[in-house]
Amino acid sequence: MDEAELQRFIGQEVGRTRVTVERSALANFATAVLDDSPIYRDLTVAQGAGFASIPAPPTFPFVMGHWGAFAEQQPEGAPGPGLGMVLGPLLADGGLILHGEQHFTYERALVAGEVVDLVGHVKDLYVKQSKGATMTFVVVETRCTAAESGELIGTSTSNVLVRK
Amino acid sequence: MAPSSLADVAVGDVAPVVHHRLTRTDLVRYAGASGDFNPMHHDELLATAAMQPSVFGHGMFSMGLVGTALTNYLGIGVLRSFSVRFVRQTWPGEELSTSIVVTAITGAGAERLVQLEVGLHSAEGEVKVAGQATAALPAPAG
Repeated sequence: MDEAELQRFIGQEVGRTRVTVERSALANFATAVLDDSPIYRDLTVAQGAGFASIPAPPTFPFVMGHWGAFAEQQPEGAPGPGLGMVLGPLLADGGLILHGEQHFTYERALVAGEVVDLVGHVKDLYVKQSKGATMTFVVVETRCTAAESGELIGTSTSNVLVRK
Repeated sequence: MAPSSLADVAVGDVAPVVHHRLTRTDLVRYAGASGDFNPMHHDELLATAAMQPSVFGHGMFSMGLVGTALTNYLGIGVLRSFSVRFVRQTWPGEELSTSIVVTAITGAGAERLVQLEVGLHSAEGEVKVAGQATAALPAPAG
């Protein structure tokens, strides 16, 4: 696909998932990023620090779609076509996927027991040539909102590139 | 101890460093906790067949380690933004260290924003990730 063809993906929705934030996933993730804070493991300590429940570690939003996306909670027509819709054609004739940049914003703490919606959109898509390789960059922003109220909790923006 | 207010933070302050020697077990644990089972991070045979010297770390493990150092320093729940560029791969056996420095304090009123430069590097000084973070801390009383 040439760059003009790729441009049509900009603005497209690439995922819509309803997620229940599970306490064990938070503690397990904290262990994986070598964080031993009791706030992630002891409800009394978390509440003593002012949280309604156990809060999420800062990079947990990147992986949260893997946990608590229960089938019966998914909205009609979900899951969305996924980033595979964009990356599939790009990788059709080979190439390597790399994570170039990651950006999070936080409006408030995300805590265990919440039900949230994750909706991703392609924000940008562009091609660069570097050292004889073609790099196609795909920027996807995923907004995390409270399912009930629609309140914005935070965003996760990934710049993924395909090198070939 | 995390600073409880802006009175405890000044431009140029450096956060306590998190040091860690990366192991294959770290990568397997991160794969399980994140759901990222790209075999380049746990399958030595496939990684070497793909011309890599060995399995290598998830970029998001590197960012997660910087996140741990940030919340160790500032407290949990105060971050407003956190961004990194993934510069180099990490390899089992490498000694990784976080670097976090306060670059600016902005805003007025009850809550002010602390800007920080953040990164992760090897013992040889190779930069693995580099970026910025912003945190909201209460202004000093009075």
